[in-house]
Amino acid sequence: MHDLLTKVCRRLPATVSTLLALLLTSPAYADWKLNMTRGVTSTANEAYDLHMLGLWVSTIAGVIVFAVIIYAMVAFRKSKGAVPATFTHSTKAEVIWTTIPALVLVFLVYETAPALIRLDDTRNSGMTLKITGYQWKWQYEYMGTDYSFFSTLTESSNAARQLNSGIDPASVEHYLLDVDNPLVLPVGVKIRYLLTANDVLHAWWVPAFGIKKDAVPGYINEGWFKVDEPGIYRGQCAELCGKDHGFMPIVVHAVPKDEFDAWLASKKTPAVAAN
Amino acid sequence: MSTTTHDHTQHDASHDDHGPRKGWTRWLFTTNHKDIGTMYLVFALIMLFIGGAMAMIIRLELFQPGLQFVHPDFFNQMTTLHALIMLFGMIMPAFVGFANWMIPLMIGAPDMALPRLNNWSFWILPFATGLLLSTLFMDGGAPAGGWTMYPPLMLQTGNSFPFAIFAVHLLGMSSILGSINIIVTIMNMRAPGMTLLKMPMFVWTWLITAYLLIAAMPVLAGGVTMLLTDQFFGTSFFQAAGGGDPVLFQHIFWSSDTRRCTSSSCRLSASSRRSSRPFHASRCLATRPWSMQQLPSAFCPSSCGLTTCLPWACRLLAKCSS
Repeated sequence: MHDLLTKVCRRLPATVSTLLALLLTSPAYADWKLNMTRGVTSTANEAYDLHMLGLWVSTIAGVIVFAVIIYAMVAFRKSKGAVPATFTHSTKAEVIWTTIPALVLVFLVYETAPALIRLDDTRNSGMTLKITGYQWKWQYEYMGTDYSFFSTLTESSNAARQLNSGIDPASVEHYLLDVDNPLVLPVGVKIRYLLTANDVLHAWWVPAFGIKKDAVPGYINEGWFKVDEPGIYRGQCAELCGKDHGFMPIVVHAVPKDEFDAWLASKKTPAVAAN
Repeated sequence: MSTTTHDHTQHDASHDDHGPRKGWTRWLFTTNHKDIGTMYLVFALIMLFIGGAMAMIIRLELFQPGLQFVHPDFFNQMTTLHALIMLFGMIMPAFVGFANWMIPLMIGAPDMALPRLNNWSFWILPFATGLLLSTLFMDGGAPAGGWTMYPPLMLQTGNSFPFAIFAVHLLGMSSILGSINIIVTIMNMRAPGMTLLKMPMFVWTWLITAYLLIAAMPVLAGGVTMLLTDQFFGTSFFQAAGGGDPVLFQHIFWSSDTRRCTSSSCRLSASSRRSSRPFHASRCLATRPWSMQQLPSAFCPSSCGLTTCLPWACRLLAKCSS
């Protein structure tokens, strides 16, 4: 047993350095998506940066603390003839281990608070979008245009997700993550969103936007985002809302501003004609 | 334990210890803290298997994409009941079971302070969980609104709604009675010389968390009662149309349940640290006064695990390495 421990101790530095090397060469694991991903809005990227900051702070703290514990366990073990200390109290030690964590926390708050304040600053937005959660679909309204529509799970996903449907979900493209009418938004425009619900609680969650906010019936929550890159972004309802909670996805098509304007104009025309 | 004094010089056979009652009435009428502790632990184990079976159904369905075994609504019933059973039927009774077994032994008390209350607080549990499980067979199925019971979704529950609420009331009542018993025992029945600061860590954490439970459970009970009146008596605590706010329930719920959750994790960390090796550790710590550095951390359950763990580990290394 002691031999084993000695062997482990002798190999410990090599093992640790190997692990560290693996950690530092992590780009080699580019498709190993364990970590939080970057987003396409400033909100999402700020969240990512703060996440990494917090992760590294806690990693460093963890390494230091566990290094001390493991060193104490190995170096002062009974077989080495360790003699227990007899003191019971150290004011100096207590001051140190209270002050350092307090300073670390103050540092994290200093880094986080401005991002939280920016998160709620909906001033100077270019357009307003109203999002309403229903059991079990989303409604989007472009405020000031009268144009609104519902967005529900595509028929192919809906058919495949029925109990014992016999349809292999792998054969359905974007299974449970595709809708009939995607939300279309312009890139590069600060979009203020108003969020509410018609029946029960829902939550509008698009990871790439760094947005996850509750939709509360009878109340309006607001926020904003500005999409930096054109693309198709997907999300889901993130607050249990009943039996089809898992089947009301969110799909956002972010397109250039002129393309968006043309799309909105084409959508509005039939509505005007109908009047 | 008999509290009357007998004239032992003239006692006859009828005054001897008869041992426990024979048959099942021993368990029904028992006031013995070890019997009740055993019942608590066995009950918790049964609930572990029932709640675990529900988790297996959840996992079974999630094994592969698509729906192979259960409908989404039943899936949600399983997640809801699994959590409620595990929290109220398994974790809490398991800890009260450990408390029943160990606290009197650790503080040198002959039994719990209120043995009949002890019996009652246990026997509420089978009826409460029975009520909760019976909702599975009711029209509209068991509650499927999640263990957090958020309105308005919770108000869409079928006929089982009032039964689930009443089950939560009963489970909370059992917790409160158990907590009262533990506090009274610790405060009044310590052996001579067992001062508060000499008590083992497990007893300390239970003393603190029992107070927290007494503070938390009525809040939860109040919250779910407001759900009940919203549903049946026309109130609008959680309905915006009547001037209420659905989020109010979340505040009520979490102000109660963070206390409950931290108290559970606090006891968990304390019991796994202390009671796994009671005899070895007791020589070092239980019989020695605590230094004042550990007292504040005992009063702060959320930081209990973190703040006591490191100094405690250092102390163990320094003093108990022999």
